[in-house]
Amino acid sequence: MTDTTKFVDDMTASIATWHGVTPPNAVALRMLGDFEKIIHDFEALRGTLRFEDEPSSFEAALTEAASIGVRS
Amino acid sequence: MTTGLDVANLSLVDAADAVRNGEVSAVALLEACLANLDAHEDAVNATIWVDRESAFAAANAADAKRAAGGPLGPLHGLPLAHKDMYYQAGRLSSCGSAIRKDFVPDYSATVIDRLSAAGAYAFAGLNMAEFAQNGTGHNHHYGDCRNPWNLPYITGGSSSGSGAAVASRFTFAALGSDTGGSIRLPAAANGVTGIKPTQTRVSRYGVMPLSFSADNVGPLARTAGDCARIMSVIAGHDPRDPTSADMPVPDYEAELNGDLRGVRIGVPTTYFFDDVDAPVRDAVEAAASVLAGRGATVVRLPLPLMDAVAAYVAVVSRAEAATIHSQWMRQHPQDFATHISGRMFPGYAIPATYYVEALSRRGPILKAFATEVFTQVDLLVTPTIRICLPTLAATDIDNGPPGTEHLALGISTNTRPFNYLGLPTASVPCGFDPNGLPIGLQISGRPFAEAAVLHAADAYQRDTDWHTRRPSIMTA
Repeated sequence: MTDTTKFVDDMTASIATWHGVTPPNAVALRMLGDFEKIIHDFEALRGTLRFEDEPSSFEAALTEAASIGVRS
Repeated sequence: MTTGLDVANLSLVDAADAVRNGEVSAVALLEACLANLDAHEDAVNATIWVDRESAFAAANAADAKRAAGGPLGPLHGLPLAHKDMYYQAGRLSSCGSAIRKDFVPDYSATVIDRLSAAGAYAFAGLNMAEFAQNGTGHNHHYGDCRNPWNLPYITGGSSSGSGAAVASRFTFAALGSDTGGSIRLPAAANGVTGIKPTQTRVSRYGVMPLSFSADNVGPLARTAGDCARIMSVIAGHDPRDPTSADMPVPDYEAELNGDLRGVRIGVPTTYFFDDVDAPVRDAVEAAASVLAGRGATVVRLPLPLMDAVAAYVAVVSRAEAATIHSQWMRQHPQDFATHISGRMFPGYAIPATYYVEALSRRGPILKAFATEVFTQVDLLVTPTIRICLPTLAATDIDNGPPGTEHLALGISTNTRPFNYLGLPTASVPCGFDPNGLPIGLQISGRPFAEAAVLHAADAYQRDTDWHTRRPSIMTA
């Protein structure tokens, strides 16, 4: 069993347990396997961002960012 | 009344003005659009339904109102068609799906009401990716939409019919929706102009949801001026959509003057040109030169935080789409096309902690991005799609070999970041690839700076003619 196969099997079991959804086709399993990259990308960000735990509102940020750098 | 005009080839603004001035009737506009539809729909497959009877009733009513001297809205008498996910009371809204093939809502979307109040009427529901979930234009249930510039190639999606119908002169404009690029991709692929507004800028009430955090409503039309007119009609707070921003809406059209002096335009040196195809790179570089010729200053700059943006955007809409469709995925997943259920399934594997991380950092990332970028430049220009358009066959996940999904999903690599950042972003045609297919230039601005984005797009179109060209199926 490859690492990817184990990953897909584990995730499939988790999805069935938490959501009651089963893999609809082979494409679904392939795309699930691609999620290893998402885990890798998230892990690569650990400790690299300086705003780890700030409270935030995206809507407020949109309003605030609207005027950043605007020259009169 | 003039009859010699090629009226379906007019821009939306020119068509509206022609009706207002009595140069052409609303009925003549409709007849011209339907003539193109009848001539080319079999090839393009851009529509799901067409309601000719109500269309002629609306056109005749528009002409009668003008003859009576009544007040006329800015879109008076214009026949429009929209992606088939905008609810119109009493009309089909299939969402491109088998699951909703008979869905007839009993209320209308706010944007439909606003367009109607401005004098326009809708006469067709346009083809789209099933539940707006691919960037290529494939549709298992209603047939793939085909690119009018070169039929075996993709139209882009998910607003595939919106792009193809505007390009084919079936309609003067169409609403699309954009969660990861679904307005800009078909705008680019079909050689038309489209804009994804700032997140929260346009009401989503009565519009099929895909991702509550990333869905946007916006137009595809022939020109930036056309998009400006529609944006002035549809933008603004809607009490029925509490997520819509309560911000003033400028007269977008009034700000189009072609003068880019003092405008700083950024060309990123990171992310957006990675592995770009040469014809695309050359077209975008040439476009930057055109903008400089209008007085803009072009600045090369790296963009911050793109690794985080790319990672986080990958989980938000997938988790939300999986949530929205969970009951159908449990009970009858076979009713989705293979690539739709296949794409949705992994969304259930995303941990809540990842989803929360991606959403909670969205605001701080936007502020940090804006602080670094928009203190240096006012706008960003990038390729809408990095690669020359592939064929429908090469991106057919349902019938292709393993790995096909990577090419299909990669189409939206350059559009998705602006959904995460929420920035207003347009796509305008800027050239053609060796297969005769359009190339799109993406223009992005600060939040709520749709006016600046459209201003630059309009200035570019004053010096270029890519947006005036007609697809090969119409000129053959």
